[in-house]
Amino acid sequence: MIEWIIFGVIVGAIFLFVLGLLYYYNKIVIMGNRIDNALSQIDVQLKKRTDLVPNLVETVKGYAKHEKKIFSNVTKARENMLKAGNLQGRVDASNQLTSALRSVFAIAENYPKLQASENFKLLQEQLEGIENKIAYSRQYYNDSILTYNNSVTTIPGRWFSAIMGRRAKEFIKIAASERAPVNVKFE
Amino acid sequence: MKQRIDVFDQINSNKRKSVALAFFVGVILFSLIIIISFFFNEYSYIIISMGVILVLIYIYAGYKQGYKVVLSATGAKLADERKYLHLHNVVDGLSIAAGIPKPKVYVIPSEDINAFASGTDPSKSVVAITTGALKKLDRDEIEGVMAHEIAHIRNYDIRFSMLVAVLVGLVAIISNMMIRMWWFGGNRSRDKSGVEVVLLIVAIILAILSPIITRIVQLAISRKREYLADAGSAQLTRNPDSLADALEKISKHNKNRLKVSEAVSHIFFFDPKKSALDSLFATHPPAEKRIDILRRM
Repeated sequence: MIEWIIFGVIVGAIFLFVLGLLYYYNKIVIMGNRIDNALSQIDVQLKKRTDLVPNLVETVKGYAKHEKKIFSNVTKARENMLKAGNLQGRVDASNQLTSALRSVFAIAENYPKLQASENFKLLQEQLEGIENKIAYSRQYYNDSILTYNNSVTTIPGRWFSAIMGRRAKEFIKIAASERAPVNVKFE
Repeated sequence: MKQRIDVFDQINSNKRKSVALAFFVGVILFSLIIIISFFFNEYSYIIISMGVILVLIYIYAGYKQGYKVVLSATGAKLADERKYLHLHNVVDGLSIAAGIPKPKVYVIPSEDINAFASGTDPSKSVVAITTGALKKLDRDEIEGVMAHEIAHIRNYDIRFSMLVAVLVGLVAIISNMMIRMWWFGGNRSRDKSGVEVVLLIVAIILAILSPIITRIVQLAISRKREYLADAGSAQLTRNPDSLADALEKISKHNKNRLKVSEAVSHIFFFDPKKSALDSLFATHPPAEKRIDILRRM
């Protein structure tokens, strides 16, 4: 009788262990995929913005020909963006592009006709939207890493991830700042 | 100064509490079924299982079709990409932040400030907002309100409340049948011992009370999910004040003009019905309390 109880306990323990391992294996893999996906989402938004830039430059040029320095800044930032080999490079270049774009919207205030143009308003709205989406995708990336790290550093996730050889991930330094919208006045 | 609340702690505690409440409803349902097997013959199972199937169909259909009814009853229209570019941008951004596909965006022509979300699956979900809200709320506030709706979708609240509604519906129908069977049938129970009589009385009391209790618990769950979505909104926008501002504006502005039936009022961001004042039977927590918690995040 006693042997059967011991046998049952051992079988039960193995069963629980396997179940936990399966659960955490899937969980960790899914969360890892989510983090990769979040990174590519950031990339998608950065590219979308880069594509909108020539459009914006053309529109603004039509009203404000003389602001050459600003246009060349924007164009340079965009080129750096396209040249950058990896995501980290693109993120750095995108910060440059963000400030260049801000200066474009700042000078736009001196050209009432430009500001009144439908095309400009639309571009402004689109760029502000993308700006926000970049910030949101960075935030999602950081949140995903937080959940991942929480579940591989707490018990029992810690044990199972140790078996799988996974550890807490370092945050790639993607500052979640810049929620400040492009300097735009709507009223 | 009041204690600050961590957004992630708030999210976890709301999740735990609502699951515990749902579990409680399940326990009541289970004990009713045990009572049935104790007091009635096999014949009654047929009637009960038929009732169960009916409840399942009724509630499933209600949730699948319910939002379509609301959309058409309120005259909601798909939001035009160009005309409502900003709204689309907001919803798009928030879906990215929540890690869900972008829901369909509807606009409800109403002067009221309100919004709702629906869909049992994030990939087939819908969000809607009134034109009044778009006019009277500023950009941050719109973002806060939409983030609340997106949080509902991400939390699978529609599916969760569907599950709870099924459990509560089952409790209601089973206890109703038990009472009827005691009333009309019960020829088995002529010669009972003292213990059996006591048991029977307990069972009858349980059968009478459990539909009321589970309904109250269901509403408590609904309110917990609202707090959860508020915390979710704060987590998505990183700006709980924007939602608090929106709630303040709404509670000053809305005067129950959006005409919706009681049956669907729970899906809105801000309960359009007056009964929200009655705290035990309200689908939503009082606005002041929601604002207070948001301000402390």
